[in-house]
Amino acid sequence: MKPPFGQRLPATSGTRWGRACGWVALLTALVPASAEAARLRGRVDGVRNLLNPVWAEARDPKQHGYSFREPVATVRAEFRRLFPHAPKEICIAALAPAPQKAPPPVLVRVGGGRTTPVTIVVPPGTRLTFQNTDPFKHRLHGVSIPTFQPADTVRGATREWSVPGAGVFEIRDELAPSLRMWVVGDPNVAAIAYPSMKGDFALSVEQPGEYTVQAFFAGKKIGPALPVTVKDADLDLSKTPLKLADEKAAVAADKAEVEKAKSEADSDAKQGGEK
Amino acid sequence: MVLSRFWYVLLGLLFGASLFLLHIASSMYNRAGLRARAEGLSADAQVVSWYLRDDARQRSAQLIPFALESDVAKYLQKSNESEAKVPEDARGKLTQALQRVSAQIPKDAGFDSVFAVDQNGRVVAYVGYEQASGMEDFELGGYPVVADALHGYVRDDTLVLDRMYRVVARPVEFDLAAMPAGAIVGARVIDDRFARELSQRTGAAVAFYANGQRAAAASPAEFNTANLDAIVGDLTDLEQDKDYREKGRSAVREIGGMIAVQYTRLPGEAWQLGAGYAVARMPAAVSGPLGFFSKADDKDKKAGNLPLAILAAVLAAGLGILFSFLEHTRPLRVFKLEAAKFAAGTIEQLTPSHFRGLFRKIASDVNDGVDKQLAKGGGPRRGPADFKQVLGDIPDQPVMSAFSLPGDAQDSAASAPGSGAVSVPMNSAASGQGAGRPLPSPPGSAPRRLPRPPGAAPAAAPAAPAAHLEATMPEGGLNEWGSGAADESEWHDVFRDFVATKKQCGETVDGFTYEKFAERLRKNRDALVQRHGAKRVKFGVYVKDGKAALKANPIKE
Repeated sequence: MKPPFGQRLPATSGTRWGRACGWVALLTALVPASAEAARLRGRVDGVRNLLNPVWAEARDPKQHGYSFREPVATVRAEFRRLFPHAPKEICIAALAPAPQKAPPPVLVRVGGGRTTPVTIVVPPGTRLTFQNTDPFKHRLHGVSIPTFQPADTVRGATREWSVPGAGVFEIRDELAPSLRMWVVGDPNVAAIAYPSMKGDFALSVEQPGEYTVQAFFAGKKIGPALPVTVKDADLDLSKTPLKLADEKAAVAADKAEVEKAKSEADSDAKQGGEK
Repeated sequence: MVLSRFWYVLLGLLFGASLFLLHIASSMYNRAGLRARAEGLSADAQVVSWYLRDDARQRSAQLIPFALESDVAKYLQKSNESEAKVPEDARGKLTQALQRVSAQIPKDAGFDSVFAVDQNGRVVAYVGYEQASGMEDFELGGYPVVADALHGYVRDDTLVLDRMYRVVARPVEFDLAAMPAGAIVGARVIDDRFARELSQRTGAAVAFYANGQRAAAASPAEFNTANLDAIVGDLTDLEQDKDYREKGRSAVREIGGMIAVQYTRLPGEAWQLGAGYAVARMPAAVSGPLGFFSKADDKDKKAGNLPLAILAAVLAAGLGILFSFLEHTRPLRVFKLEAAKFAAGTIEQLTPSHFRGLFRKIASDVNDGVDKQLAKGGGPRRGPADFKQVLGDIPDQPVMSAFSLPGDAQDSAASAPGSGAVSVPMNSAASGQGAGRPLPSPPGSAPRRLPRPPGAAPAAAPAAPAAHLEATMPEGGLNEWGSGAADESEWHDVFRDFVATKKQCGETVDGFTYEKFAERLRKNRDALVQRHGAKRVKFGVYVKDGKAALKANPIKE
């Protein structure tokens, strides 16, 4: 079972201690409200029809991200689409009808060219703890966020930031252009979860009642909002998976992308020939 | 002098033209150097770019053995099955597999670090990246190059992490019907070794920079690598360069007059971070005409044809000397010889036809001047008077009896005319060995009048020793000869002085009488008066060569 907010800490002695503290704080906050949390099991579909905006931007030749980039013939075309890594990038949130209390600090790992998670939905006032898990420093900052100015975070160090209000906040790293994180401040979010590679997810809500299950990707809502009524028992939503993106639209987008790339290549060749 | 002057003008014109040409040449050289330098730098930048791309392609091919290694695909797939944690056995097996394959790759084609990344982006195993030791959650999945590899692409990138890396990645497939099991990532550190290798293969002086600092640099032997440090101060202004900002390659920039540099952004994430490389060349410019000497190397100096330059200089100098000799030295020498003949009286006048040009005119003028002076009767002669010239030939001893004693003829003959003095020996033959022996004279003594010795008898001269009579103009002029009267009454005083002087000089005065003395003076006086038209002649006594002598001074009053 995963905590309702945030991700597991890295398995180092320091982070283990931090993770334990997070758990204790979270349990302390949730236990008086409910004796037993209900689990909402569900599944997302169409993750491979999504497109990671960072990677999609990086593949554009105009971004000068590479000197050569070629597909490997043995890899099937369907896998070449730059779909996101769902366990980090697709955030499933259970939205209550009323504002929710801010949860304990949520750990965000910074490493490997991205944050974990990449998208997170939390109530305003939630404190996020950014921990550098890379062997080199990062310099995080919030885009147009006065309370999150660029500052170095060395290896293993942490940095705190509280979500100032409702809205979408983008976090970047001055030293790693590919690192982009989106924090969605929503006062009604009661629980969040991240799907597995297969698309399965499990939300833990503490209070019975009416909820809306909504998926978020890259700071935006994706797919339909799924209203659910939670009672004392666990709820299985797998039979009606959240369809995040339409395959036809994705295929059409891919075709359009291929056509665009082809026309640009032809244009470049023509210009080269004229020269 | 026409040739000489023409030659001087020609040399001046040649010098001015040479200077002008040198200035033009230096300007043209600098302009050509600028153009060549700009083209060279662009070529260098392009070659480095091609090298980086080709190197990345070559090294991406070296990833194939990793991707085909069965254990790599197998244990990456095993890692994918465990989303929560990477299996330890998978780490171990993969590490061994990576080491095994790395050992088979040629050293110059290999990597500094190799990473095996699963579908979750986690680094399951790696070699050559000890910075990540003990970091179980180390991952690379967020970087576009790794994401592309996980999605079936092979590509390169330049990452700026703890250091700058050239990275290539390709997918690792376990099941062709499924998504790639992971990716294999190879990285090369961009350090001095990398830069040196690049410089050796491209011949370019290159420096890599990131975060406003120089990361690596290398250059050919003829280029001082330390000069590349100068780019650090230039990086702050680099973003102002429009070409660099928009196209990724700057215009040629000169730093402190030391080096010319062209900057190029590196492809990959480094592009957005402002990391790149700079190629540099030394400015090929001269500061002025003399700058060629400092810029020329041995090869240039060899091509300079020094013997021809020396030959031209020698010929020019020889011609100048020849013209100078023909038109200056030789005529002057001829004139000098002619003047010497004229001075010696060999010729009566200078012969203008022997000379040319100005010297002919000078000779003619000199002749005219001499003629005019002679027509005036000549000017006063300056300098010592020649007694012989004044008196004419003075009779020998038999005639000059007043100054000689019997038997002194041979001594008189010894006093040769033309010596400038008429010497009349006065010693008698009876004096024996004393004849002709000079008395010692005080060193440096000049002709002078001696005071009359006190108590000396004016006419008591028993034997007259050899006496010298010499007519000489004293240096002090005629005034020193006193205001004496023109009659013979003075001659007694002169006789007394003469006798006293002879005694002082150790000469004998036996038989030396005033009558003889006066008779001799009288003859000389008459001769002088007749020759020079003088009214009277004043005589004086002095010592010459240790002997008493007389001086005659004709006075025209």
